[in-house]
Amino acid sequence: MDLLLSTDRIVRYLRAMNAENMKEWKIELTYRVDFVRGMLEPLIFVFPYVLFAMALVGGRTSSVLEGLTGVSDGVTYTIIGYIFMGFLNTAVWGMGFALRKEQWYGTLESIFVAPVPRWVYVLGMALHSTVHQGIILFFQIAVVYVLFGVILHVQGVLPVLVFIGLMLFSLVGLGLMVSGLALIFKEGWIVSEVLYSLITIVTPIAYPLAVLPPLLQKISLTMPTTYAITGIRHFLIDETMGVGLWDSYSRLILIGVCWIVSGLLMFQVVDKKVRREGTLAEY
Amino acid sequence: MGNDLFLIKEEIKKNIKILLCYPVEIMFWAIFPVLWVIPFIFQGQALVGGVTSAQFKELAGTEQFVPFILTGAIISTYLFSSLYGMGGNIRMESYWGTLEYILGSPARKISILMGKALSESISSTFFVTTQVIICVFGFGLTLTMGKILPILLVMLLLVVGLYGMAIALAGVTLQIKESRSLVHTIEYLFYLFSPIRYPVGINPVIATVSLVIPLTYALLAIRGIWLLNQPMSSLWKYVGLLALLDVIFVTVGYLIFHHMEKKVRRSGSVAQY
Amino acid sequence: MGLKSERAILAQDIVKTFKKKGRRKYGIGPKITRDEYIHAVNGVDLAVHEGELFGLLGPNGAGKTTLVKCLSTLLLPNSGNVSINGHDIVEDPIAARECLGITTGGERTLYWKLSGRDNLKYFAALYGLSSEEADKRIDYLMKIMGLEERQHERIEKYSTGMRQKVSISRALIHDPPVLLLDEPTLGLDPSFSRFIRSFIKKDLNQKQGKTIVLTTHYMDEADQLCDRIAIMNEGKIVAVDTPEALKRKIPQDEVLEVKCLGHADFSGIGQRVYADSAEGVTIYRIHAENVEDIMSEVIQASHSARILSMNVSKPTLEDVFIHLTGARLTGEDDGQ
Repeated sequence: MDLLLSTDRIVRYLRAMNAENMKEWKIELTYRVDFVRGMLEPLIFVFPYVLFAMALVGGRTSSVLEGLTGVSDGVTYTIIGYIFMGFLNTAVWGMGFALRKEQWYGTLESIFVAPVPRWVYVLGMALHSTVHQGIILFFQIAVVYVLFGVILHVQGVLPVLVFIGLMLFSLVGLGLMVSGLALIFKEGWIVSEVLYSLITIVTPIAYPLAVLPPLLQKISLTMPTTYAITGIRHFLIDETMGVGLWDSYSRLILIGVCWIVSGLLMFQVVDKKVRREGTLAEY
Repeated sequence: MGNDLFLIKEEIKKNIKILLCYPVEIMFWAIFPVLWVIPFIFQGQALVGGVTSAQFKELAGTEQFVPFILTGAIISTYLFSSLYGMGGNIRMESYWGTLEYILGSPARKISILMGKALSESISSTFFVTTQVIICVFGFGLTLTMGKILPILLVMLLLVVGLYGMAIALAGVTLQIKESRSLVHTIEYLFYLFSPIRYPVGINPVIATVSLVIPLTYALLAIRGIWLLNQPMSSLWKYVGLLALLDVIFVTVGYLIFHHMEKKVRRSGSVAQY
Repeated sequence: MGLKSERAILAQDIVKTFKKKGRRKYGIGPKITRDEYIHAVNGVDLAVHEGELFGLLGPNGAGKTTLVKCLSTLLLPNSGNVSINGHDIVEDPIAARECLGITTGGERTLYWKLSGRDNLKYFAALYGLSSEEADKRIDYLMKIMGLEERQHERIEKYSTGMRQKVSISRALIHDPPVLLLDEPTLGLDPSFSRFIRSFIKKDLNQKQGKTIVLTTHYMDEADQLCDRIAIMNEGKIVAVDTPEALKRKIPQDEVLEVKCLGHADFSGIGQRVYADSAEGVTIYRIHAENVEDIMSEVIQASHSARILSMNVSKPTLEDVFIHLTGARLTGEDDGQ
């Protein structure tokens, strides 16, 4: 992998990333029904969690939750957790399937012979799916405001953006790992499903860290989503943060560096493997 | 008729052999649907500080929310793994290029579909059995022998309605080729509009929509037997409505398939992928 | 490596082996068949000069596509060195790819949901062109390919020949000095094939001086277009030379082609005979120094079959191939 890049090459790679992003938009917009479905599905996905919460407490306030988190509104608490967790989809589905999709189209070899390192395509897809997820996020916030009267602290937006940015940094590393794995496993979608399921279990999306068993709590502290979701909820709806703000930021940076390095290494290894074994065009 | 049985048998054999080539997929469906309910358990604990809720009992008939969502997960998996399998099966036949030969053969399409649907049922039964074992040993769910037979009877009725949906889906897949996202949407809608993960009585609109989904009655009947110890005699209403919806689903499903097959043959889009 | 600049492609002792994993019963447990190793490319040396149109000929499974994939950096060879315009494909694959334009076989190598122009614009960005440069280049390519009017239509609405034109345009988008064209006329109708062949020879090679490696199993195509030809069989290059020199390798001067219904027995005539049957018709190619000398023996030996036609010709590349490998090429030049 070129660690020292000339300015010329950086410009080329950025251009390629943007081209990848634009191409995905063009293809995506030809499937209009799928596009609309992609906007609505994440919203529908959240509702059962919200309605489950309401069925349990017979309304939306819970004194138990207030004791644990400082937030009594179980509905708002759950919704915020799930809509910001949508960025995990960016990594495990959007980026993770960037190359797999090309394999499916039949275009993977055509793009791999271009003078651009393979990870550039994954980053191009990261750009695309982050923008995509951002649009979904705004749409969801508008809908839950209307349906459930969810109100957020606008003054918390800046630190929230920092949390999202740092979470995305780690998720790019995860996306690189998944896209590598998706190239060598025939059932690539299972890799994404498994990672998604495991990460959502240990991330305090609709519950605080305290309700997890001790072992899961330890694992949870190694996940970027744990710090990001708690931090976001802290600034938007006043959840009590177990870990200090700067401590959360620095842990997110540390995890991000580890995940990015592992992602690049794993991607490099898989890329070499498929080129050695000649399994690139197989499905 | 003899030929139809032979065809169904060969279709099942082929599909099971192909499934066995994907052991990771088998493991996934056997284990993961149960893990998806774990966030609900933690969420419940964070909201009520335990595993019981009096408010929940008013809506669901049981205050124990963990068995409620576990049974929902098991029964819905039966439905969704079959639907994914059926759609995926047609999609792969189309990708391999074998679909044209299947549709071009003089065999009765209903026999081919029966073969496909039965093979999905066989694999789904295996997945569900594994999940029940995990729930019994991992989450302390109890199931007495006497309840198994009535539960199987309701499941059988659910399968018939499912075949109606699967046949319709196979037809739609002929046209749109990619069914995974469609099944995904159906899955999400069912999670919302049937009592898989929460009692639908919490919202009157959702409760009304749930009345036209066979899964709703299957869940009500099976939970009645399994969790609420209700006798079959008090559950006949649900079973009857489930049977009625079965007839409607199978008829409409077959009509959709028939219509789509004709449409695809007219437009010649079978080979396009 | 002490490369000479006039060698656009230099490959030394390339070996590419694939492992075919042994089968397990039901996908788990001990293997019931052993792992097999397939030597797709087995010690190939190749030097293609700047501005040369070089052909790679061979039957299916000879290793042509694997070799081209190694040259294009898609596959890593197990051993050996490859350089493109002086850039080693393992040490500096990006620089090597900048010098290369590639068309690979298969129709699905373009985005079907995008228009021809959108496809080219995307690939232009991957090859480092700015938006303005890309637009100019695409205008030029669309014009010479005769696709101007339909450039905004989606690829899914194009014919196979039009897709191939877009595919070749993609290979040319960054105006590379070296082109690898894998079966560029496969599956095209005669008029498209003629256009592509003439474009490759006259425009790309003769006018623009590009170095071209062309893989094909159409003998006529290789004979007409290529300056030199390498014949591959079972992962090895068995001969490299100009088409004329290759034909001279056959010791006999003439070939008698006998087409008949049923089978004849030519074993007694003491010449090299190659047969190929399809649908009851057998074509025998008999290599001889002077066909007239063996004519009566041939007619006598054909009594058990019904002769449909007889033809005397000079040896073709196919005869060279048969002579060198003892096998015919699969896939015929029908309609080409």
